[in-house]
Parts: sequence; C-alpha cells; structure tokens
Amino acid sequence: MTFFSDTDCDITPKECAAYGIKLISMPYTVGDQVIYPYIDFDEFDSHKFYDMLRAGTMPTTSAMSEEAYIQHFEPEFAAGNDILYVHFSSGTSNTFTIMNQAVEKLKAKYPERKFYSIDTLGITALSYNIVLEAADLYKAGKTAEEIVAWAKVEVPKFPMYFFADDLKFFRRSGRVSGLAATMGGFIGIRPIIYLNDEGKMVSIGKETGRAKAIARLVQYVEDLGEDVKAHRVLIGHSDCPDIAAEAERQLKEKFGQDLNVITNVVNPTIGSHCGPNAIGICFHAKHR
Amino acid sequence: MKTNELDSLIFADMLRQGAASLSKDKKVINDLNVFPIPDGDTGDNMLMTLKAGCLAIQDHLGTLSEVASAASSGMLLGARGNSGVILSRIFAGLAKGLKDVIVADTQSFAKAMEAAVMEAYKAVPVPVEGTIITVLREGAAGANASSDLNHYFETLLEAMQTSLDHTPELLQVLKDAGVVDSGGAGLLSIFRGMNDALNGKIFHEEIEPTATAPVPTVELDKFDENSILEFGYCTEFLLRLMRSKVDLDTFDEAVIIDYLNKVGESVVAFREGTIVKVHVHTFTPGMILNEMQKYGEFLTLKIENMALQHHQSTNQNNASFKLPPKQYGVVTVASGEGLINAFREIGADEVIAGGQTMNPSTQDFLEAFAKINAQHILVFPNNKNIKMAADQAAELYKNADIHVLPSTTIGEGYYGIGSIDRDNTNAEEVIDSVTEIMQSVVTGMVSTAIRNAEGDHVSVHTGDYVGYSGKQLLSDSPNRETAAKALVERLGAASRDVMLVFFGEDVPQNKAESLVADLQTQYKNLEIMLNNGAQPVYDYIFVLC
Repeated sequence: MTFFSDTDCDITPKECAAYGIKLISMPYTVGDQVIYPYIDFDEFDSHKFYDMLRAGTMPTTSAMSEEAYIQHFEPEFAAGNDILYVHFSSGTSNTFTIMNQAVEKLKAKYPERKFYSIDTLGITALSYNIVLEAADLYKAGKTAEEIVAWAKVEVPKFPMYFFADDLKFFRRSGRVSGLAATMGGFIGIRPIIYLNDEGKMVSIGKETGRAKAIARLVQYVEDLGEDVKAHRVLIGHSDCPDIAAEAERQLKEKFGQDLNVITNVVNPTIGSHCGPNAIGICFHAKHR
Repeated sequence: MKTNELDSLIFADMLRQGAASLSKDKKVINDLNVFPIPDGDTGDNMLMTLKAGCLAIQDHLGTLSEVASAASSGMLLGARGNSGVILSRIFAGLAKGLKDVIVADTQSFAKAMEAAVMEAYKAVPVPVEGTIITVLREGAAGANASSDLNHYFETLLEAMQTSLDHTPELLQVLKDAGVVDSGGAGLLSIFRGMNDALNGKIFHEEIEPTATAPVPTVELDKFDENSILEFGYCTEFLLRLMRSKVDLDTFDEAVIIDYLNKVGESVVAFREGTIVKVHVHTFTPGMILNEMQKYGEFLTLKIENMALQHHQSTNQNNASFKLPPKQYGVVTVASGEGLINAFREIGADEVIAGGQTMNPSTQDFLEAFAKINAQHILVFPNNKNIKMAADQAAELYKNADIHVLPSTTIGEGYYGIGSIDRDNTNAEEVIDSVTEIMQSVVTGMVSTAIRNAEGDHVSVHTGDYVGYSGKQLLSDSPNRETAAKALVERLGAASRDVMLVFFGEDVPQNKAESLVADLQTQYKNLEIMLNNGAQPVYDYIFVLC
C-alpha cells in the first residue's frame, strides 16, 4: 500500500521521505505563473511569499487536471500497490471531483487494485495533524482498512480554530460562511473561524484585537480538548511567528511545558486563501 | 438721511456690506475660541455662508421678497459649520417674514426679524442661550420698531451689543475662556455692515466665490498610454444660439437633444432664453462640438476624460449605463491625504475634504450624495460642528434615504464605517449597531495649543503639545511624543484591545514608528495599528476600542 498526501496538508518532502509518503503538489498561480510547491522550489520561503501578499499580490488557486492525478496514481496501481490518500478537505475545493473521475478510470483499468481515501475535512495544520497521526499508524504497520477505520472515528475529533488579520483574502475566496461583510480587519476586529464536521469554514463570532482572539483560541483548546496531551497540538500560522509563539506560551502555561506543540507555516496554496497573519490551533477534542 | 423704505436694491447692498464687515472682523471672531486648539472657524464659516447668499443675488433683480428668498436659498446651500447653518436659517426666517413684501418699512422688517428669531430657534435641536440665537432674539426684542429704519437698526445694534456682552454670564465656557460668543459676534458684525449700507456707507469689495471644497485632484495616471477609453468624455457646455445661424423664435432645442441622444449618453440639455445648457457623455466630443456650431457659439466648454474624473473610476454615476442602486453608500468628512485614502479604503464612497478648521457646506454634502447610487446613504460628519450642515443637506436631498450618524471624531467615523455590515438589508439594524460601536470607541488627539488654558488634569501652555479627548485636556508637554504617551495612558490604553494611530503631516514616520514601538512595549495586549493620516492640525489621532 502506498500512502499519499498533498502539500495543502502542510507536510514537507523531508517528512514524507521519513514516513515513506508520496506527496502531491497542489498548485497556486501568481500572475500568469502556475507554481507547484516543492517542484518549482525546494524550500518554501514563507516570509518572502507572505510579504508579497502583504504588498498586494493576490495569488489564485486552481484544480488539478485528471491527467495529473492519473500520473500520480497509475504507476502505483501498475506496480501492484493499493493507494491510501489522506487529503485536505474536499469541501473546500472541486479538485476532488476531478480526482474521482481519474480514480474511476484507473479502477476500470486496474479492477483488482484498491483506492482508499481519508478526507481530513480540514486544511493546513488540521490536515497536517491528521496526516501525522495516520502516518504513525502506517509506520506501525497498520493496514489501509485499519487506518480508514481509525479516521472515521478520529477525524471529527480534530478541530481547528483560527483567525486572520486581513479578511480580504477569505472574502475573495468566498469559502467562509457567516462572515459579516464589514471591513473589520482595518479596525482590529477578528472573526473567529473554525472548520465544521463537513470540512467547511464557518465564522462563529469575533473578538476585538489579537490578544483577545489568541486567548479565545486557547480557550477552545481548554473547553473542547480531550486527551490533548496524548496528541500533537498544531499551531499553523502564515508568517506571524510572534503570534504563534504567544499562543504556544499560553497553551503550555495551561497544559504544561511538556505539551507536544508543533508550529508550522501555512503552505502557499492555502495561504493564498487566508492571507498573511492568520493563525490556527488544531488539537484533539471531544468534537469539532 | 432717514430711510423709511427698504427695497431689494438696498437689501442686496446691506447683505454685501454685511459680508464686507464680517470679512474685516473675521480674524477677531475666529480667535474667540473657547478651546485652545484650532477649531471650526466661526468667522470663516459665517462669512462663506453669507457670501454664498450674496453670490446668489449678484445679478438678481426683483422685489425685496424675491431677493431675500434667493439670498436665503444661496445661504442654505452654502452653509458651513453650525454657526453658518444657523445664520442661513436666520436669513431663511427673514425671507419668510418678508414674503410678498415689495418694499419694507420698519414694522414689516421688525416682523420679519421676529420670524428670523423663530426660525433660528427651530434650527437647533436644543437651543443654548448665550449664543448667536440669544443675540438675535434680544437684539430684535430691544429694537425700536415704532420709528424709521435707521433708528430701528441703531437700537437693534445697541441691544445686540448688550446681549453679546452678556453671553459669558449665560455660558460658563465663555466665562472660563474670557471671551464672548463668536457666533453672536459674527451676527453683530453682519448687522453693523447692514446698518452701514442702510446709511449709504458702502465700501465693500466685489464678492468672489470663495473656497468651496478644494477641487478633487485629477489622477492623470488613471489613464495611461495603454488604457482603453472605456467611459468616454464628460462634455458640458453653454451654447449661445446665434441669430445669424437659427431663427431664435422658432428654433426647437429638441433638435439638439435628439442629436445628442444619438451620439452620447446621460444627456441633460435645456434651454433658457438663447442659451442651451448641455451635459453629455460621449466618445467623440469633437463631433458634437462641430454639430453644435451649426446653431450657435460656445460660452463655456468643459471636456473631461471620465476615467480621471473622479478618484474612483468605477463610480457608478460616471458609467455610461445605469446600475441598480447598492444598499449602502457612505459619505464622510476628513482632511489629509492619508486619512482620506484610509477612509476610502475602509469603504467610504465619498470623502468630503474638510474637518476641524474647514467645515464643508450643505452644498458639498448634496454634491457628494449625488455621486452615489445607493438606497441608503450613511453620513459620518466626524465633527459636531459639521453635523448641522449634513442634517440640512439630508433634509434637502430626495434621491436616497440619508442617515446622518452621530460621529463626532475621525476615530468614531473610521470605526463606524469599518463596522457597517453591507450584507444586512435592515438599515435600522445596521445604523443601531454602527452607532453602538462608535459609542464604545474613545478618540484622543495631540495638537499644538494656541493659548494657555487650565484643564481638570493639566495646565496647557501656548505652543506646547496638548493631548485631549472631546473637550477634556488630558496632557501637555513641549515634547510631542511625551504628550502622546501621557494622553494614551489617560485614555485607558491598558484596558483596551485595539488602538489605531493616525500620524499627521508634521510628524516624521520614524517618530511615529518609534512611538508605537514604545507603546507596544508598555501595552503588550493592545493591538496597535499605525496609519499615515498626513492630516493637518492633529499630530496624532488615537482611536481606542
């Protein structure tokens, strides 16, 4: 069985190599240039990327072609391997409709091969957290069926709450519901957004100022958390390490210094939708 | 010389002489300022208002009633600042009282003055005694109406002067500042000038149309060598129909209108006597000009590329087609390029240049409203002294629902505009929530003191930097940033979540940045957002939420 993930889940080629994961690069477009992470560059220069967004560039993203998916998956089927693909939320992109078409074609061609998929119902740090958990199981020798069964129970137990400084990115992407049509970003109003059970982004309130917004994220970890310390706590940020560090400080103050916090930078494809200075916390919880 | 009859010519002279007198006195009146910060200049506001009235009757021939009414309409639109709005209402009352009067005698003029008093009291929601309305009322009450007009005016002026001298007894703020009421002083100055004219002492200069709002800067870069002519040219002219070219008696301007509709859009054309006034949007103005010369010659001519015409080339009213009105339009008032841009960025459709020391007129508001295609227009005057002119414009405007919101500072306005939920179609709800959020905001300013003053917390020295909020003086220092830091502390930064900072045109960016860095160190939980407001008068504006 071959384990696939994608760059929208924030996992890097280095980690993929360590786990034996194959990585699908999800493209984004700047101007008329289509860029594939870790194919068109080796290291993601996140500061440079988000500074470009701060300066006014608005990258776009697009679905991959059927052909691209076939190129990823067919060699595995041809070599006699089944596939487990742990991917970012199908609720946020129509790329999965195209992928399913590709998979249907391949299944017809290789009827004996199996294609398993796990929808993390998330993006960036949320997906990353689930990919890492699934990869741990994979490394421990679990089968695809076992990992899929685990996911069925556990995916709804990984929430992510987040906020962003500049809402124009979210607004343009049109992927957040419940967002008031204000210019709140200019006056320090931070809508708090989370990913619901369908993997969709929903605004569930707002805070005035970053300090209160960070405190609210941490509060969610306290209120909803379940076996928090038995799992990784992922802090994803788009080039605002200071805010991430403050969140980490508050988390460790509440849960102890041995809390397993991993801070990562949001990949550029998702970053194109959330903009710079966004931060989210993903943790293990009773529910999302 | 005894004058028992007041006709339209004398009245027109009186208004002009009133303006001349006020022009001479305006500096003294401007300086009658109870607050040690440059303020809405009463003298300037009243003068510009009165001049708008004088301009409206420049070539006006008619009865006293007609001239008074024309002057009043001019003043209504030209009214700036609260004192200007009240002045315009005083003359509106006077015009009402003189309705159908061809020539006034003392009795009828005195009656008209009573109407002026009534109208003036109606103009202010809560009449405050010790102000211009007191001076008017007590003046009118003390004038002797049973004699000739000269004596009437003589006694009127005496009573006004007595009333003006008494204003500090009625208003503590005047007494504390050691001044008389500036609006009352302005009114007295105007009536002194009017009295001079009545007595044949005329020495006024020609009335020039003064400083209406600055002409919006044309951004030439909006149309460069690669641009496509998308909107065409806004073409306006006055065409004098020529006897040598057309039969003036039988010529039907419909010929011109039909032609314009064929080659252009947004045609407005009408004829007054032998002049045809034309407004048309066209891609080929040259063609139209050639065609028009078949009928007449141009008196004035203006052609503007509509891509540059306004700061927003997407302005719906400039487009050559009509879009359905949007839910909410926003008009606000600010000065300083950075501040104006900041307001545009946060969603203001029209930013009227003006503010503390330059109060926009009713007309300025009306023009701003006309540029917006919206069901509701929310107006943020950002200054108490501007609200009345906005209210007056709101009453006059009919093409949208105008809501004047109670923003008294730049900070409240900025916050309020930023919090408008444009998806909510319930205007009342939106207005309530915006009003609520504006009330939760505190604004503080740092400016230079123009005279010594005693506040509850600090002594202010001329030339110092003074930090204040509303009418409260909160800090004073010869050092700008020291005054700013003390102000921020007094405003309760420690318990606030967000602070917006707009630094003024006299403040170097690095000074503002280092101030913010210091404040950030001091107030760790405060999110500070720095903006280059480049505004005049205020070195810093702090908005805390």
